[in-house]
Amino acid sequence: MTTNRVAVVEKNLDDHLDSAAPAARLLGPDEPLRRGSGLSARKARELFEDMVASRALDVAARELKRTGRSFYTIGSAGHEFNAIVGALARIDDPAFLHYRSGALMQARARQLAGSTPVFDTLLSLCASSDDPISHGRHKVWGSRPLWVPPQTSTIASHLPKAVGLAFALARGRRTAVETGLPKDALVLCSFGDASANHATAQAAFNAARYVKKRGNPLPIVFLCEDNGIGISVDTPRGWIEECYSNQTHLDYTLAQGSIDEAWDACAAALERCRATRVPAFLHLKTTRLWGHAGSDVETTYRSLEEIEAVESGDPLLATAKRLIEVGAATPAQLRAIVRATRERVMAGAEEAARRPKLSTRAEVVESLAPFDEGAVRARSTRGLKPELRAETFGGQLPEHQRSVARRTMSAQINAALHDLFLQYPHTLLFGEDSAKKGGVYGVTQGLQKRFGIARVFDTLLDETTILGIAQGAAHVGFLPIPEIQYLAYIHNALDQLRGEACSLQFFSSGQFKNPMVVRIQGLAYQKGFGGHFHNDNSLGALRDIPGLMLAVPSRGDDAARILRGAVATAEACGRVVCVLEPIALYHEKDLHADGDNGWLCDYPPPTGKPDDPLLPGDLGVHDPEAKDLLVVTYGNGVRLSLRAARRLREETGRRARVVDLRWLAPLRCDALESHAAECGRVLVVDEARATAGGVADAVVAHFAERGHRGPLRSARSADTYVPLGAATACVLLGEDEILTAMKEILA
Amino acid sequence: MSRIVILCPGRGSYAEKQLKSLDPADPRVQAAERLRSEFGLPPLLELDGAAKFDRALHLAPENVSPLIWLVSTIDAATALGDHECVGVAGNSLGWYTALAVAGALSFEDGFRVVQTMSLLQKEVCASTGGGQVLYPLVDDEWRRDPEREAAVRSALESSGGEALPSIHLGGLAVLAGSDAGVSHLKRVLPKAKLGSNQYPLQLEQHGPYHTRLVARVSELAFQRLAGVEFRTPDTTLVDGRGRMHSPWSCDLAELRHYTFGAQVFEPYDFGLSVKVALRELAPDQLWCPGPGNTLGGTVGQVVAQEGWRGVRCKADFAVVQEGPAPLLVSMRR
Repeated sequence: MTTNRVAVVEKNLDDHLDSAAPAARLLGPDEPLRRGSGLSARKARELFEDMVASRALDVAARELKRTGRSFYTIGSAGHEFNAIVGALARIDDPAFLHYRSGALMQARARQLAGSTPVFDTLLSLCASSDDPISHGRHKVWGSRPLWVPPQTSTIASHLPKAVGLAFALARGRRTAVETGLPKDALVLCSFGDASANHATAQAAFNAARYVKKRGNPLPIVFLCEDNGIGISVDTPRGWIEECYSNQTHLDYTLAQGSIDEAWDACAAALERCRATRVPAFLHLKTTRLWGHAGSDVETTYRSLEEIEAVESGDPLLATAKRLIEVGAATPAQLRAIVRATRERVMAGAEEAARRPKLSTRAEVVESLAPFDEGAVRARSTRGLKPELRAETFGGQLPEHQRSVARRTMSAQINAALHDLFLQYPHTLLFGEDSAKKGGVYGVTQGLQKRFGIARVFDTLLDETTILGIAQGAAHVGFLPIPEIQYLAYIHNALDQLRGEACSLQFFSSGQFKNPMVVRIQGLAYQKGFGGHFHNDNSLGALRDIPGLMLAVPSRGDDAARILRGAVATAEACGRVVCVLEPIALYHEKDLHADGDNGWLCDYPPPTGKPDDPLLPGDLGVHDPEAKDLLVVTYGNGVRLSLRAARRLREETGRRARVVDLRWLAPLRCDALESHAAECGRVLVVDEARATAGGVADAVVAHFAERGHRGPLRSARSADTYVPLGAATACVLLGEDEILTAMKEILA
Repeated sequence: MSRIVILCPGRGSYAEKQLKSLDPADPRVQAAERLRSEFGLPPLLELDGAAKFDRALHLAPENVSPLIWLVSTIDAATALGDHECVGVAGNSLGWYTALAVAGALSFEDGFRVVQTMSLLQKEVCASTGGGQVLYPLVDDEWRRDPEREAAVRSALESSGGEALPSIHLGGLAVLAGSDAGVSHLKRVLPKAKLGSNQYPLQLEQHGPYHTRLVARVSELAFQRLAGVEFRTPDTTLVDGRGRMHSPWSCDLAELRHYTFGAQVFEPYDFGLSVKVALRELAPDQLWCPGPGNTLGGTVGQVVAQEGWRGVRCKADFAVVQEGPAPLLVSMRR
């Protein structure tokens, strides 16, 4: 059915071009299609060329698929008016595009001589490793020279970062960070009408308006390509217009009608956005031909009459009619464009299909998680002027502080962030209550006062937006340090890390990066502040994200050095790093007994030496002489295990070596091997919910698979949400339970 | 009918072996001679028919340029007659040929352009001095040679701005510079051999074309060639930046501006124009008109860099060329 409909639509166009009569008078190349229009005859023919190229690529995709040589048939047929925006937006206007952007890309590529958008698309369709953007990892629209970061864009998850980039453009000028983009650049972001319903899309629209309401410029054009249907479900008539035409702080424009009418509407919308920096909602009427994808049988949800009605609105046919009618082109000219384009695209497809593919696992993962430890350690030696530190800390350097309040983990993180802000002038810190208040736990106090509102600022209450801002800012040279107030809240926005931030280097073969350090306040054991949402101990979702790095400090000095490692890694390798800070340890003073101050530590000043940052594999080893038992743990588990180990020694005389993993992703089990060999018995203490941490599973599996000969077991928290009040002790892994496990394994 | 792209050669393609390339009876030769006489220069047939190749005479820009242009134009017309031409590109001087072959310039205007530009180059270069130097970027199998690439980068960087990139020719870099720049290049570039040629190799009677040193040529060209009429091409042109100009949307003002502007004083990337022609037009064959066969190896090197039809090196290219469907047709081989 699908192939037939392709042929029908092609024939409709061919028949018209064969039968139409030329206009009595032909327009000169610079004459507009109608009086007052900005679209000239020559430019209109150029657009037609791009639209036809896009259509021919869709046909080629299906033909290649039919012959088993291509793997992607979600096309742009029916959306070709987006070529208008491709021609109007500049290639220094970053563009985050959805998957029906074929014609837009053709038109955009014209702006850069030497571009080869037809062949690049064919390579992408064939998943060839020669594809210049993803190297065969996915069919995406992307290009470094054309400033199009690749998106998979099926769920509008690219909108928040587009907002973030628009936000960061102005922030660049306020912080003297060189974004590499001109002052009047705007951000283009496209999506479909059905996708506008996604929570991520709604978050983006809301955030854009909110930012503008706050008085900040937000130069973004939301390009809603409205084809009236999402796979098989019609969008209610007028829905997009109703939703977006009356919103404050959102400049709505409807672009429809003929090619010149749509051109003029789009041109005006872009021009206003560029001049006023007010977010624009450009509602471009399109249609969708040939189903959602090649595999979609449209007749299961549309009648033949409905399908034919849609086909009659084919934008290529409509444009051809318009160009001929007004004398912007002759039927023969357009026929020649169509014929020549189809020929060259199909000829190129044959070549593209022969191009090499990714053939090894190493090739596929090459750009997923680049890590150059030498480069990271070298980066951390970047100079930090003593006089600057003295000024920042008011003459009282944190390493000289002896008060209890300045030796907690919270204070050490705070001091480390101050140092990092001095060391890396392109860092930004933001989150909910992070700036003015200094965080709900006071961890970020004083940063805004010292470094200003441009670098340290409060956001609206939306984690998706926070991570969107981080990604967008990171695209243009910032090193964002966003804060997620509670671990449970990250799940509200997890796809911003999983589907977007961590996939960027993978799908762009490292050509685009969004380095960031996401500070997440989390884990359980808070005294006097209970309940699941503030004591979430499920971190499996983070460890499950390909390429994401995750650290969990247990002590203040470690936290400072882990943050230095995280920032240096993000900076040197473009990585997304999460640092999960155990809230219960922020202000903890004691280790074994009330008032012993055993959990306080001195602030480790930045030494400027390569071993200063803590990186994966840098384990924290407590009682390294102990050989009776190895306890592998992290976060709150370190303190609990040390307490249990002391009781074990007192009660049995046996000594446990407690090893703090510090980094949970990548989990360097190899670094544990010598300890396990020396101690024999291995107990993994995992504070996470039993099935949702993965750390215990991974460590036990590692040693089991390597034939570790000694006893091996784990102690974990219960597989449940965390309740309120004293009941938390019923489900969270406790000191007694750890001690019992120690004794059992030693028995 | 096979789909072809025509690639027109630049300077350096007419040497002793190319004497007697022109047919005195060909009306296009006669037309060219009439145009040539307007410039008060000796007839092309006299040069082409000379018993002996006189390097000083034959390789003088005002002589060799129209000779090459004319032979190429005549050859290209033959190719056009037998095939569907989907694109035309040229190397440096070959751009003026390409414009005429594609119909963007009439035969007469094409001749005027090439003759005038060659005279302007001679005029301007008499005061600027300088020249062009060839250096290979590949090995004998046409594979990228990072050491040679680094040597070129280093030589340019250490020239104090006296040496500049001029033309990217597939496996060869054409560098240009003032007299001091050329001396510097010849001094610092390590001796290299590609095929039977030794490099660095200074091109005879060439100026520092496609660099800012000849910006004056551009200014004068706009003045002296103001009367030249650019027309909608019959086939797609691919210029020295890799930009395509189609018969249906070509911006004639831009074509003029490029031809007399950036084309003159910015580096010419012939390799990129071939790459774009291959990728975006996907022709069955590439045809190289005469004189000579100077573009054969160059185009083969671009094909190998591109991996087109699986060609990755000189040996692969030879296999394709000797097979049933050769990719490159050199008309004067």
